[in-house]
Amino acid sequence: MSDVLKRIQIPIIITAVAALLQVIPYYFNIPVIDSAASTAADGVILIVNMAVFVGVISISQVHGRRISRRAERWGYSVVLMISMIIMALTGLPFESMGLGLKNPIYDFFFMNAMTPLSGTLYSILAFFITSAAYRAFRARNIESALILVAGTIVVMSNAPLFTSSFPFFIDMKNWIFDVPNASTMRAVTMGAALGAIALAVRTLMGIERGYLRGGGED
Amino acid sequence: MATLMELLPIWTSVFFTLAVYSFLYGENPWYRFAEHAYAGISVGYAVAFNLDYLRDQWFDRWSLQGGGMMAIYIVCILIGLLWYARFVKKYFHFYRWTLAIIVGTGIGMALRTVIFTQFLNHIIAQARIPLFVAGDMNSTISNILIAIMTPCVLLYFWFTGGAAEGGPMDYVRKIARYTIMAGFGSAYGYTVLTRYSLFIGRAQFLLGNPPNPPEARMAFIVIAAVMLITLFGSDFLRKKD
Amino acid sequence: MSLMDKLQNIDRRYIYLLGWIFVLFPLLFPLGLPVPIGRESQAWKEYIDNIPNDSVIIFSLDYGVSGMPELFPMTISTLHHLWTDTPAKNFKVVVVGFWTQAPLVFDILLDVMGDIDSKYGIEYGVDWIELGWIPGSETGMSAFANDIWGQTPRDFLEDRPLSEYPIMENIRVAEDVDLVISIETGTPGLPEWLRQWNDPYGVPFIVGCIGVSVPGMAPYLASGQLSALLPGLTASGEYEIMIGRPGLAVAGLDAVSMSHLLVVCLVLIGNIAYFASGRKT
Repeated sequence: MSDVLKRIQIPIIITAVAALLQVIPYYFNIPVIDSAASTAADGVILIVNMAVFVGVISISQVHGRRISRRAERWGYSVVLMISMIIMALTGLPFESMGLGLKNPIYDFFFMNAMTPLSGTLYSILAFFITSAAYRAFRARNIESALILVAGTIVVMSNAPLFTSSFPFFIDMKNWIFDVPNASTMRAVTMGAALGAIALAVRTLMGIERGYLRGGGED
Repeated sequence: MATLMELLPIWTSVFFTLAVYSFLYGENPWYRFAEHAYAGISVGYAVAFNLDYLRDQWFDRWSLQGGGMMAIYIVCILIGLLWYARFVKKYFHFYRWTLAIIVGTGIGMALRTVIFTQFLNHIIAQARIPLFVAGDMNSTISNILIAIMTPCVLLYFWFTGGAAEGGPMDYVRKIARYTIMAGFGSAYGYTVLTRYSLFIGRAQFLLGNPPNPPEARMAFIVIAAVMLITLFGSDFLRKKD
Repeated sequence: MSLMDKLQNIDRRYIYLLGWIFVLFPLLFPLGLPVPIGRESQAWKEYIDNIPNDSVIIFSLDYGVSGMPELFPMTISTLHHLWTDTPAKNFKVVVVGFWTQAPLVFDILLDVMGDIDSKYGIEYGVDWIELGWIPGSETGMSAFANDIWGQTPRDFLEDRPLSEYPIMENIRVAEDVDLVISIETGTPGLPEWLRQWNDPYGVPFIVGCIGVSVPGMAPYLASGQLSALLPGLTASGEYEIMIGRPGLAVAGLDAVSMSHLLVVCLVLIGNIAYFASGRKT
């Protein structure tokens, strides 16, 4: 019995049924399936939310092991575990015990640690882009010259310093946006759509099984 | 005079901001501390939102709709528990069932309309481009270019490595590559805007510019000085050794 | 090593330092550079000016705190514009978010903007409402389109059932919505909205987004699936000036100018050094 349950065909069939349950009501007016699809979509959101502790457990396994073995830089793992536990515990939805979204400790760490950290981690890329532009952005051939010129025009057109003195930069940027950029992105969008459809069909047919890997079996 | 309770949040925010920026000098313990704190906090904070949603859905919706819906809710919660089967090798296959439901639903949701929103609508828009605009030579030339460039880029993507050298595909490849380069140049220009906008936002906070708290400026000066002294100092000691 | 070779191999930390100087200087000493108005911000303002009376508008905050520096100014300006017009045009504005941090961003917005109701002469629960975060990404968008009350049985601000709010009486499904305004930074974003709201129900869209997402919006603008676009901080600043409310975006535009000047100069110097050193890197 347990061998039957382990068969890869079961999740493949589940994937196909779940997908068809969403696709069929869109094209055919069958009230029963329509209602089932709607309920299934609501249920899926509940299932997704139930994965709330997967990240907590995964991280605890990795960093817990590092702490217990006193691996290199295990002190940082302690910082990670403490901050994770504090946020997870203070955020539990028990408002009568003072926990939840409005808990002062939860709010403090969210506003004064999470907010500046996530904002800063994304913004630090500005420096790397600048350094990369200085070191690597070279007009070595026609193609790199094109990307250099187009990029420089768009950079200048986003800066009021240039556009107030040289308004033609705005027209040049508009042309780049409307013609080569729109052509490229339209082709990318269409190609990506076809790729997504192909991948979806392969997944439904059970040919694409990458998402089912893991656990030491295939 | 601001109290300690008023200053603590501001100094904490400034500390974490500068700890991340200290990476610009080089790998250092301030950055590692901030990085690990961020990883822990970001995993933990979502717990609140998800559990809140599950609770509200039960009390405000599913429990009010009768026995059948309540049973479906409980079944969904039980299926959701299968996520945790991934941590037990013996039961890992049950984790795949939950994943299959999510992946299948997602595929179905996207599949049913992607052909319209991201394919047919664009073909229609491309076909509707007027190749001649009376009295407007710029638009005429631009439209003709779009009519040539888009199919060239599409063919380039589809037949990369597939078509033999020589023949008309050489011209198609050349046009496509030039178009893509110009398009990606535009993407680069906007990327610079985004990254610097994010940095400017943080800089406005560090300087205490309104509506940010003005106390942040003093915190910025003090914490930056301490961090720079420790970074230069450890560099100096390392070179001395 | 020649000067040109040295220029090409300069320690990158000097470049980072230049980045700090070019951004901090105009923030400390504003330059007051003029700001020309571009077509995107013009089109955005015109679109909002021409929203028909009695329209039901979903205002979706599809970003988190990491996107705030670029998107927060346009969020404030657009909501200010909508709420200013609400008494005369009877808009119904429903604020939602498909990113977890959206409600927290909106909390910060309410702190910054103060007492909305007395400021704009509108009433919470009658003219506007906040429904909070809807999980599930694209699946959540689809479920929200089918049953708005089901996905958000209570409002987020006061935590009361939707049945207690007159605004929500006739807003049950996507067909009841006249416009979606999405301020977004990635996924879920416009493609997901179009697949679940625009194609099935024909709901029109306007989007404000970060610069990185802008090139990808071009085909949707060209095909008419997207009616207006506000691309990044510079356009936000232009929009603030047009509505007569210079704010966070305008305050940062001098720094945008100086930082972009730095990038252009460095690219030029790098290429001059490259060609002058005989195309060696």
